[in-house]
Formats: sequence, C-alpha cells, structure tokens
Amino acid sequence: MSESLLQAFSGVLGDLRVLLIIVAAAIYGIFLGAVPGLTATMAVALLVPATFFLDPIPALAAVVTVEACAIFAGDIPNALLRIPGTPASAAYADDVYAFTRAGRSAEVLGVCLTFSVAGGVLGTVILALFAPQLARITTWFSVAEYFWLYLLGLSSAVIVSRGSTWKAALALIIGLFLSTVGLSAVHGQARFTFGQAELFQGVNFIPAMIGLFGVSEVFRNILTYDFAATTPGSQAGGPFSPPRSWKQRLAESVRSVFGASLPLLWIRRWHAIRSGMMGSLIGMLPGAGADIAAWVSLAVSKRFSPKPEEYGAGSMEGVSDASSANSGALAGAWVPALVFGIPGDSVTAIVMGVLLMKNIKPGPEIFEKQAVLVYSIFLIFFLANLLLIAAGFLAIKAGGYAVRIPRKVLLPVILLFCVIGSYAINGSYFDIGAMLAMGGLGFALERRRIPLGPVVLGIILGGPLEERFMQTLSSSESAWEAFFSRPMAAALGVASLLVWLAPLVISLRQPRRLLKSVSARLRRLRQGSS
Amino acid sequence: MKSPSRQLLPLAAIALGAACCGCQDRDLYPSGPIVLICPWSAGGGTDQTSRQVATLLERQLGVPVNVVNSTGGAGVTGHTRGALARPDGYTITMVTVEINMLHWRGLTNVSYQDFDPVGMLNRDATAVFVRRDAPWKTLGELQKHIRDNPGHVKASGTARGGSWHLGFAGWLDHEGIDPGSATWVSINGAAPSLQELIAGGIDLACCSLPEAQALLDAGRVRCLGVMADQRVGQYPDVPTFHEQGVDWTFAAWRGICLPKGCPAEVRSRLASALEKVARSSAFRDPMGNAGFDVTWQPPEQFAETMARVDEQLGKLLTSAAMQSIGESRFGPMFFPTVLAAVGGVVFLGLIVTGQLTRPEQTERLSMHDLGRLAETATCVVVYVMFAETVGFLLTAGPLLVFLLVRLGNRWRVSVAASAVVVGLVYQLFAVGLRVPLPRGWLGW
Repeated sequence: MSESLLQAFSGVLGDLRVLLIIVAAAIYGIFLGAVPGLTATMAVALLVPATFFLDPIPALAAVVTVEACAIFAGDIPNALLRIPGTPASAAYADDVYAFTRAGRSAEVLGVCLTFSVAGGVLGTVILALFAPQLARITTWFSVAEYFWLYLLGLSSAVIVSRGSTWKAALALIIGLFLSTVGLSAVHGQARFTFGQAELFQGVNFIPAMIGLFGVSEVFRNILTYDFAATTPGSQAGGPFSPPRSWKQRLAESVRSVFGASLPLLWIRRWHAIRSGMMGSLIGMLPGAGADIAAWVSLAVSKRFSPKPEEYGAGSMEGVSDASSANSGALAGAWVPALVFGIPGDSVTAIVMGVLLMKNIKPGPEIFEKQAVLVYSIFLIFFLANLLLIAAGFLAIKAGGYAVRIPRKVLLPVILLFCVIGSYAINGSYFDIGAMLAMGGLGFALERRRIPLGPVVLGIILGGPLEERFMQTLSSSESAWEAFFSRPMAAALGVASLLVWLAPLVISLRQPRRLLKSVSARLRRLRQGSS
Repeated sequence: MKSPSRQLLPLAAIALGAACCGCQDRDLYPSGPIVLICPWSAGGGTDQTSRQVATLLERQLGVPVNVVNSTGGAGVTGHTRGALARPDGYTITMVTVEINMLHWRGLTNVSYQDFDPVGMLNRDATAVFVRRDAPWKTLGELQKHIRDNPGHVKASGTARGGSWHLGFAGWLDHEGIDPGSATWVSINGAAPSLQELIAGGIDLACCSLPEAQALLDAGRVRCLGVMADQRVGQYPDVPTFHEQGVDWTFAAWRGICLPKGCPAEVRSRLASALEKVARSSAFRDPMGNAGFDVTWQPPEQFAETMARVDEQLGKLLTSAAMQSIGESRFGPMFFPTVLAAVGGVVFLGLIVTGQLTRPEQTERLSMHDLGRLAETATCVVVYVMFAETVGFLLTAGPLLVFLLVRLGNRWRVSVAASAVVVGLVYQLFAVGLRVPLPRGWLGW
C-alpha cells in the first residue's frame, strides 16, 4: 500500500506535465464556472477530446481540477451579479448578493472560497478513507428513498427562504409546474406543449436560472438605478489612497479576501465539518448532487442557527455552510463511480467514459488493482483544492475590477452574457426565449416578495421527483405502502414529514395566537374589499 | 476638445473586433466549423461517441467539429433539429436507434427518411442482467418464470418505450409471452436502473454490455444473455440468445446522418472522412476498451439497416400487446393534478393571510418603466429572430450599442465598447468554447 502511495506521489508531484496541467485546468475551470450558463459538466465535456491524447493520470488531473474550481467559480457571478454560475450556488444567491450591495463582495467571496476549499478537502478525506464502506449506502437507495430525499431537498428550499412560508411554497409549486412542461419521462407523452415541437424539450433549468436571477436583476436595475449619478467604488480597495509598494497592496488584498474568512473558518469549524460531511454523503447518492447538498445543509444550518432571520438577507453562516457542502459533494460523487461504476453525477459520468476508454475498469477491486491510480486521484483532489486558494483569490480580485465598471455599461453586457449563456448549453434559440420569459417571471415574483430559489430547485427536481413517485407507485402492488415498507425509506419519509409538521405543531400549541392572527387578517381582507 | 485619437477609437475597436473573427474561403466544403448534434446529454455513451468522432473528424476535414447536446423529449429535440437543419453539410447528427421508434409512438413526424445516412459507427446489443443472488441461472429459467408468474418480475433499463424496453418486450413477444407479464418500471437511463437493480427495487435490467461492465466485472450482477447472433468480442463469456435457443436479436445503433437534400459531393466527402475515422485505431481502440461494439457500415448498408429496423420496430410498436402495456395506472396528468391541488391550497393560504397584494414598499410601475422593460426585452427578441440569418456580430453589435445609448452612454463609448465586447465574446465562445454562435451573412 505504501509503495503504491509513493508511486502515486511521484506520478503526480514528480511529473512537471501533470502539475502544469493542473494549473492550466484550474484557470480554465475558474473561468468557465464564472461564466453563467457554463456548468462544471460542460467544462468537463469540453475537455474530453483533449483527454483522448493524455495518459490516464494527467487526464484525471485535468478533470478533477476543472470540476473543483468550476464549482467555486459559480459563486463569483452569484455574488457580484446575482447570477448563479452553477445550480449549486443558487441556494444562497440572495445572501451573497446582499453582501455585494453592502460593498463587501471580496469578504463574502473570501468566505465562499475558504469554505469551498475546506469542504473539498473534507470530501476528499472521506473519499480516501471510507469509499468502499460508504458505497454500500448507495445500495440501500431504491426509488422510494430517492423520492423522499428529493422531497426533503425541496422542503429545505422552502425552509431557508426568507419571509413567508406560503410565498416560498408558491414559488416551489411554480417551479414544479414548469418542470412538467414537455415530454413526460415516465409516460413518454407530451404535456402542456400546445403542439409546439420546441416545447418537447421542456424548460431547461440553466436558462431558467439565468433568467430568474440575472435578467430580472437587469430589469430591476434599469428601473431603479440612477444612471446620471457617478458610480461609487463598491469594492474593497476603496477610496483613493497614496501609492504603496506592491507588497503592501498584496497584503491588503489578501486581508480583504481572507481577513474575515479564516477566523470564521476557525469559529465555525464544526459547522463546516457537519456541512462538508452532509455534502459528501448526499453527493455520493447517484441522482442527488451538489445542488441538493447545498439546499439541505443550508436548511439544517438555519434550523440550528441563533439568527435564522438573517438567512436569505445576507447570512455569513448560511453562505459558509452551503459552500462547504456543495464542494464536499464533488468528491462524494466519485464514491459510487469508483466502486460500482455507477456515476454519482453528470461529471463523474463523463469521467467514467474517460476511464473506460483508457481501459481502466471501475469496480470494488480498483482499490487493490489500480491502487496507484486511486491514490493519484485523491492526491489530485488535494492539490486542486490547494491550488483553488490561489486561483480563487486571483479570480476574486479580477471580479472586483469587473464590478467597478459603471453600471450603465455593465448592464447591457450582462444581458449579452445571459443570452449567450442560455444559448451555449444546448445551442437552442428556444432557450433564449425561455430565459427572457423567466426574467419577466422573476421580476414579477420579486415585486411580490416571492423568493426565486425554490422556483429553480422546483424546475431541477420536478422531473426526478415525479419519476421516482411514479416508479415507486408502479413497482409495488399496494401503492402507498411502497413509500414506507423499506426501513431507509420509512426513516427518510418520517424526516421529511417532520420538516413540514414540526412548525405546524408548534403553531398549533399556541392556538389563541393563531386564531387571533387569522381573524385579524380576515378583518383586514374584508376592509380591503369593501 | 476632440483629439483625433479619440475619434478613431471606435473605428479601431471595430477593426480589432473584425480581426478577431477572421474570414474564410467559403467555396470548398468544408470551409467553416461543423456542428455535430448529439440528441443525448453529456455523460452518456452517445455523447462519448460523438465527442470522439468529432475530434477525429476534425483532423480529417481540417475544420472544427463542435458537439452540441440538443437533449430532451426522449431524443425528439435533437433528431428533429438535425433533420430540419439547413442541408449544407455544416450540421450533422449522431442519429440513434430511437429515430426508428419516435415516429411510431406518435411523438414526431421526423423519421429516418428525413436523413441522408453517412455511416453507422457502432451497434450495441441488448443484454439481460440479474442480481448475483437471483434464482435464475439461464435465460430459459428466467423465461419460464416470467411465463408462469405474470406480473411477478419487475424490469427496467430505460424509460417506458425506450430502446431497451423494446428489446425486452420484443423478446417476450417473440417467445409468445405477453410483454405485459413483467412489470416495466420506467427509469430514465441504464445507470439508475442498474443502481435500482442492486438496491433490490427491480429483478432484472436490460441494457448494453458496456453500461453494466463495472458491475459485471465486480460480480454484483450476472448476464443471462445478449440479444445477438454471435458473442460480442469484448465479452467472450457472455452467452448469446441465439445459442440458448432464442432467435431474437436487438441492438441499439449509432451513426452519422446529414439532413435530406445535401449536395452529393458533400455527402461523399463526409462519408470518406468518416470511414477513415471509423477504421482508424484512434477510434476503434478506445471505443473497444470502453466496451462498445464498433461496427462500420457505409451509407447504402446503413440506409438498409435503418429501413429494416424501422419495419421491425413498427410491427412491434403497433402490435396489440405493446399498445396495452403502454398505459400505466397513473396517467401523465396525475402529477400535475396533485401539484394543482397543492398549489390551490397554497394560493388559498396566501389569500387568507393577505399576502398576495403588492407590498407597500414596492412602487407601482409607470408607463415609462414598462416602456423601458419592453424595450430591453425586445432587444432579446430581435436577437432571437434575426441572429441565425444575419449572424452574431451584425445582430448583437447594433443591439448592444442601442442598449448602451439608451442607458445614457455616449455614442462613441457605446460603439467602441460593443465592438470590443462582441468581438471578444465571439472569440471566446465560438472559437475557445466551441459554442456554435450563428454565422450569418458575414460568416461570423
């Protein structure tokens, strides 16, 4: 074992080519992740042709690094423009953007970066130490368990939303409804397509996300922003200061990014570990990825937080927990891929293809037969996360300059990027139209103070939720027993029911208060209508 | 106060943008980037094949070949798009066996007759997998069990009506067993089906051998047979249906097609390039390693195969047995109905709690505001309508200038900024990231 570890070390660290590839992949990954609409999956898919000509270890180095960097980079447009770069960042879009509006973008991105790295490292440790044991958990999950897991994820989106639960629930239902447009995967029949061939593909969540968050923000800014006024320097670096040496400036930059986040990492170390572990456990399950991990950990974080009212309006706690969870999920997705050859997410699906083409067969024995390769993957994960610190720091500084461009120039350019980002994923004009429609919807919903996050998650999980629901029903004789007959399913089912029932029970405990508020509202309603 | 250099700025910027995009000779095919439409998403076998073919074709043809995943609608979206593309040879499609199924299921009017075949690349036969502790040792035992215990065995491998489902149902039908004797659980994709198989949710999975390779090698699943005449090269231990006395074959194939009506020289140029790719070891070795059955068929033979399979599947899909299992207990509107009910409750809750009215902090939109929103939205609509014919630069550039000016920027700044931005964006996306941005009149 130690011999293969040494071999892995010399294969990864001793090979200059591998190190150069990791650096290049980090820059590429940061860049692609930061462009809205270009996901980690797309970044890796674009890499595949290059991997044909590489040896397995450099090829894997490129893929792993791109993936780790792209997920963090999704936070950059999320914080600066409120356009989630990847769906995993949508969970805390409003939180990070609130900090940018308060002129604290470098600080909040520093927190995202630090906790992403922490989550990524933790996920790697879990992958390295427990992969074969953990992979067994995957075999407990049949369609019924997935149904409950998705429901739990959706419930989390409602819980973490700021303000009224009713409004968050409405947002979720809108998202789920949008997901039913197109060809039903279970029945193979068209729904709500009105005879339009383009609607068969349904509402893709990437253009929907860009529209709901990005375009609606452009709309809002066009109306409210005072373009005649000069733009204030909203970034760290701040007001004009006398020229200093580059060392001082570097030190100041480093402080602006890491000054707040490193102490926070120490203070919230147990929270980070909890979220990172939750992230890698959820990421490990095929079909549940970094996005569900971010939502669920955010919900848990809010439930146990002393300041739950801050969530959705700029909560450093929430941002830090969700960041470590979605990065922890990445390594988790490799567990079933390496052990069973069942990819945990779309990125590992591509990786599997690359592995097989290199004649490397995933399976339980990969840990013995291909020990060098497996250790190399772990090492690359560590290296990628370390490199992410530097690459992420540079990206945050570059992003700071982008924000200083005057809004009146920036807004049309953002719109152009929204258009191309929606188009890039499928090369479809219909997606641009969908993006625009979602922009209008997002704008209208925000005016009614209805949160947008649950809409996005509804669109993402609506299809899988329906599929699992139908599959569970059709795979069992007595329909409703199917959801609770397996122990794991029952546990998850009870958990997701509790999430909904607990607040209700608490409010029922104070019946008088509830009655009073309802009657007061009814009175107001009657007055309003008369 | 106008210095000449400031006046020249926009011009210089336009020149820079133009230089970034470059011009090409458009007389000889191929002279520009080719789009390869993959109707399935990234991470699957078709995507993998597409990307490898694209890379190798690029070397043969000397122009970029960019893969676009046009996914959704069980393959309808991508195939339709490929069939309706301009027949100039710059859009090619990785057509899969689903083209022989979709029109029979009434999902689209597009069929194999809307394509000009260029060549078949690979063909993977369906195989039947069971868990390692399953009671059936041979295909015959499984077949007998299904025949004797209708409704007992649960199977999957893909969504209902997908290719592996047809392979499975066709097998039972061929053996005189009602295809409805086994419950087909509609699970989208081979990987989640195999996951469900080892989790114990289903009893057998039908998919291609490479998709189950890892689980097969690990001994977690057993393969009872592959629906082919001869053993598959990569899997000499897997028995065929044929040698177990079942004369049924079924395979999913993939091949490159052009939309109908391309010039003959385009077709022959592409076919010869593709043949070189398909026969090269750079294609065969990695595909073989990954377990794919590489089978090259030239255009005429590929056309015959498509016609034959289309007829075979048509018979199966229109048979009474298949029609009856197409329906499930819960129809497609069941889930939307549940949603509507929950949505209704939420809506009532919002009305009762009085939260549906406009919050007091939000100002009412004035006509002027609505005008500005409409103007911005119109720009996007204009782009969608004209970009394909006019081209990216000529559409996005003026629209960007318009928006910039409307937001209070000076003309000169606007023109310069949009020239630089549009030029850079084109370079970045079309050249660097291989997004097929519309080329239009100018070629960029």
